[in-house]
Amino acid sequence: MLPRELVEEVLTAARRRGGSFSELFVEERSSTSIRLDDGKVEDLTTGLDRGAGVRVALGTSYGYAFSNRLDRDSLLEAAAAASAALQEGEPGSIVDLTIREGPGTNRTDRPAGPYPAADKVAWLREMDDAARSSSPEVVQVIGMYGDSIQHRLIAASDGRWVEESRPRIRLVAQVVAARDGTIQTGFFGPAACGGVELFDRFTAAETGRKAAGRAVTMLDSIPAPAGEMPVVLAPGMGGVLFHEAVGHPLESDAVDKEASVYRGLVGSTCASEIVNGVDDATIPNGWGSYDFDDEGEPAKRTVLFEGGVLQGFLYDRLRAEKEGVPSTGNGRRESYASPPIPRMTNTNILDGPERPEAVLEGTDRGVFVTSLGGGQVNPASGDFVFGISEGFLIEGGKVSTPVRGANLIGRAIEVMSSVDAVADDFDTWEGVCGKDGQQAPVGSGSPTLRISKITVGGTGA
Amino acid sequence: MPDLDDLCRIAVEAAEDGEALDAYAEESRRTTASALRGEVEGLEFAESRGVGVRVVHDSRLGYAWAADPDADEIRDAVRRARENAALAEPDEHNVLPDPAPWEPIPALFREASAAVPTDEKTRLALSLEARAISRDPRVTKIDEAQVGDAVSRMAIASTTGIAAEYRRTDAWCFAVTLAVEGDETQTGFSYRIGRGLDELEWEAVADEAVERGARMLGATKPATAKVPVVLDPFAAMSFLGVLAGALSADAVQKGRSLFANLVGERVGSELFTLVDDGTNVDGPGASPFDDEGVPSGRTELFTGGVLQGFLHNAYTGHKGGTTSTGNGKRGYRSVPGVGTSNFYLDAGATPRDELLRMADGGVLIQDVSGVHSGANPISGEFSVGATGLRIDGGALGEPLREMTVASTLPEMLGGVTGVGDDLRFFSSVGTPSVLIGEMTLAGV
Repeated sequence: MLPRELVEEVLTAARRRGGSFSELFVEERSSTSIRLDDGKVEDLTTGLDRGAGVRVALGTSYGYAFSNRLDRDSLLEAAAAASAALQEGEPGSIVDLTIREGPGTNRTDRPAGPYPAADKVAWLREMDDAARSSSPEVVQVIGMYGDSIQHRLIAASDGRWVEESRPRIRLVAQVVAARDGTIQTGFFGPAACGGVELFDRFTAAETGRKAAGRAVTMLDSIPAPAGEMPVVLAPGMGGVLFHEAVGHPLESDAVDKEASVYRGLVGSTCASEIVNGVDDATIPNGWGSYDFDDEGEPAKRTVLFEGGVLQGFLYDRLRAEKEGVPSTGNGRRESYASPPIPRMTNTNILDGPERPEAVLEGTDRGVFVTSLGGGQVNPASGDFVFGISEGFLIEGGKVSTPVRGANLIGRAIEVMSSVDAVADDFDTWEGVCGKDGQQAPVGSGSPTLRISKITVGGTGA
Repeated sequence: MPDLDDLCRIAVEAAEDGEALDAYAEESRRTTASALRGEVEGLEFAESRGVGVRVVHDSRLGYAWAADPDADEIRDAVRRARENAALAEPDEHNVLPDPAPWEPIPALFREASAAVPTDEKTRLALSLEARAISRDPRVTKIDEAQVGDAVSRMAIASTTGIAAEYRRTDAWCFAVTLAVEGDETQTGFSYRIGRGLDELEWEAVADEAVERGARMLGATKPATAKVPVVLDPFAAMSFLGVLAGALSADAVQKGRSLFANLVGERVGSELFTLVDDGTNVDGPGASPFDDEGVPSGRTELFTGGVLQGFLHNAYTGHKGGTTSTGNGKRGYRSVPGVGTSNFYLDAGATPRDELLRMADGGVLIQDVSGVHSGANPISGEFSVGATGLRIDGGALGEPLREMTVASTLPEMLGGVTGVGDDLRFFSSVGTPSVLIGEMTLAGV
């Protein structure tokens, strides 16, 4: 994307005051997004983004500057600005740049970009038709389609040179169902770091039907109960909770700032002994997968919990160098406009021994959560909250009436220590995680699992 | 480097017969400095610019954008927008606004704020951290202390004759403290926003962030109960975000707002007056015109609890048989949606201490979490996590955590029995403290 001589010149200029390393991140991204609302193509947008960011680090301090321009003057100006973060010091050196090849984790034979926009509109229509024809109670359907291809170059003063292209695709269905003045919504949005193979996993029609099914089901819902009770989480949903409540406090910036409940607890039991969890950026075409992170570190599979014992944290380069440990390849950034920070990739709770039916049958009274609306955690205290967007009462070991208007609230360590059943039906859920103002695609996965006691916040009896 | 208005003009000149076209360009220069453990943690410089082009042909809308385009890339964006329009459905309400006179707001740009040396910003960030860790023995470290400012410029031009441009300066600082006692850690947040770093009360930010963290130490989970609740401005602000979505004419016209058929009806208590006012220079969201070039205005959404109307951009105004309220909002990467300018709950006359006395035996909610996922703008139902303090004899008592608050927006708005005089803005949303007569707090 840029000539080697220019990259070397920029990296050298950025080290005019020394520092532990300098780094250049160059990006070009083209994207298409289409919104189908009420059966009409309401918005079809194509974008062309481009920019480069220069970073200079010293310990965990850094200077960062970016520009939309890739010409020599602009890049050198960014290098000078970034290096201004350091005190005056001796210039640093640049190791010969050597290309690192990646395994092609997100390889696709059918990238979405080159498909005609008319095909993309047709996928949305297929989704829309399927959602509408699945029930007369479906009154509105919004479809959102997006694809992008991001080309990246990362080079750093320690000699690393990495180029990678990341194709992305996502189809989202949002459905509104109505009956006698009651309105409920349903959402489903599968995604991949890959191409149109996504539709082999879920066809556009299936996506529409799933969202419609959720909205229609919730029409029968009653207000959720309030209080502490057992909660069974459907496949994928345990991963969402794990990401939010446990994963964020395991990110090494929170640990470094002493703002993590897990600080100092590596080697300790912090979850029920049936909990095994990983962060894995190497899953082929996973929504959070890559060959190299946004600092040019190879992607890894990092074990977080084994038998409930905390194994380690998720590191970017700055925090890893400070601790004197290898980076776990979790330095991610939204784009050239942001410096990398430690982030999760695909965060999964692994399969256990039980059958999902048995987990439900063994629950006398509680709530079965089949869709979580998203959540929030305070990594320092471990307090978290989640909205339940689709859930059911469990009565006498059977799934019964749907419930609405509820959330789950608890503390990370207590809740993970209360996991008392893990089934063998692993599945994933794709989401977008926000942190420090940066969005990142993340995968979350888990089998069916049960928390023996957690607070459900609802309005019902 | 071509000027923004040149880029817009190039796009407008590339329009073909029968096309309506507008181009929106923005550029900004932003610096942020953060401090940690007595050192500069990070120093970031951002220089960005971009242009978005909207083409309407036969009532079909297409959009394309590019980061930092040259003249050829602008023309290419026009071509892509044209292609995209050909695939869209015709919609008679795809109209571009006509030019209208607007009043410049010189106060938005402060020459001195545009030229603050970097050293001064890093010094301010270090001072902010230093003060935050020296006020209370339980607060000896921070999660974040950041200072930032930005100089921006935006331009709009259209085939309908709009050609407008303005510039602004913005500055902000915030702190997140860590309060520690035994093995318990609580966080405290505070924030200020203004037109220049020199006008930010950074000492108050440090002090408030310390107080809000430290007073939560020892928090316990209360028993479930129905009690009077005071939402402090930080907590009330979260709900205003949901209200803003539901009061957008776009949501209303698509049947996605609980307020759709309630214009002229009393929804909130008579203390509840909610406005959007882009001309209010005291608010961070002020601008002379919106992102479609429509002059900013003042819109009362609720007056004494009665719903007056909704926020409009050019599209929803045309569709609703009315006009834009100057609430067309966007970045260059997207078509203008409906957004807020300065969106705030009008301050009342009651001092906060008086609100606390009125809520004796109740709870001050300090923070709510999960509003974005836990509130449904269509049904108005919500269930959110909350932390706060018991109100005991009119004063703040024991801290409480792991609570959930579940209700509906109409119930909450109707239940407003007191509005404080302590209006403050967070980004472009502002609110004072609010007393709600009774809410269910779920705990144990």
